[in-house]
Amino acid sequence: MKWTVSDVDMYEKEKQYIDTALLPLVQLTLSNATKTAVAGGELVQLLASEVERQLKGRLFLLPPFTYFLTETKEECVKRLNVWTDELKKSGMAHVFYLTSDRMWNETELGGKLFVLPSIPLEHMDEVYQQQMVREQTSKLLSSFISHWT
Amino acid sequence: MSEKKHRVSRRQFLNYTLTGVGGFMAAGILMPMVRFALDPILREEEATEMVAVAQVKDITTEPQRFDFKVKVKDAWYEADEPKSAWVYKDEKGNIIALSPICKHLGCTVNWNADESHPNQFFCPCHYGRYTKDGTNVPGTPPLAPLDRYEYKVKDGKLYLGKAKPRGEA
Repeated sequence: MKWTVSDVDMYEKEKQYIDTALLPLVQLTLSNATKTAVAGGELVQLLASEVERQLKGRLFLLPPFTYFLTETKEECVKRLNVWTDELKKSGMAHVFYLTSDRMWNETELGGKLFVLPSIPLEHMDEVYQQQMVREQTSKLLSSFISHWT
Repeated sequence: MSEKKHRVSRRQFLNYTLTGVGGFMAAGILMPMVRFALDPILREEEATEMVAVAQVKDITTEPQRFDFKVKVKDAWYEADEPKSAWVYKDEKGNIIALSPICKHLGCTVNWNADESHPNQFFCPCHYGRYTKDGTNVPGTPPLAPLDRYEYKVKDGKLYLGKAKPRGEA
């Protein structure tokens, strides 16, 4: 399910089946290393939407949790945990994070962290890109599914 | 032909011209309206674009997944929507192309993914199951069989169209 009006209708109706929130963690910066941050964030959102397509009926893909590069790690962790608690209070049994930022550490967080390897998609030709995305998606899928059971 | 017979009075002349011009104007106004009213009949059945998906010789009796792309236009946003199909041949050699979208909440089903229930389609979200022909297994969450794609075979290639609920395709 995506963060759209049409999908939210389904969410309201089928609440008991939708027990997993997927939260992309995306870093923002406009000063230095913007391109790396954007590339990472783009990949995360691309994969998140791919996974959402396959697990539509159980996974709610939320708008990304964004944070500035200049925020300290403690602030980010604290803020993210507030989000996580809110989500759990609203009935999400599982909260999955998806990120390409290696700053995050699962032990400090209330949910399950999935860190993606950074893939320089822009330098690949399309066929290879698709193959890469498919591979990563299926890896993510199987780890999501094994986390459910 | 005498001159007399050809005489046209001023009144007649004006009558003719006015009817003529008026007729043209009325036709100009009515034509688009008539066309508009008849439009649903005249419009061609929006050709469901069939997409080449696979070589027929690659299709076996075991369901295989084929990915393809369909052009969709959603308001001002045009995109290639990725789709998949589970394709196999049944005992009679007919091709069956099933949509992988679970009829419960729309997850993607997989063939033979659950060890305890082999030779079935399995939905990982809420453990819905379907038999090989797409019929939902009673007692699992889905309430309808998997959709089937319209298909045609041309020059050894399989073309798929729209996915339709069973009974319609």
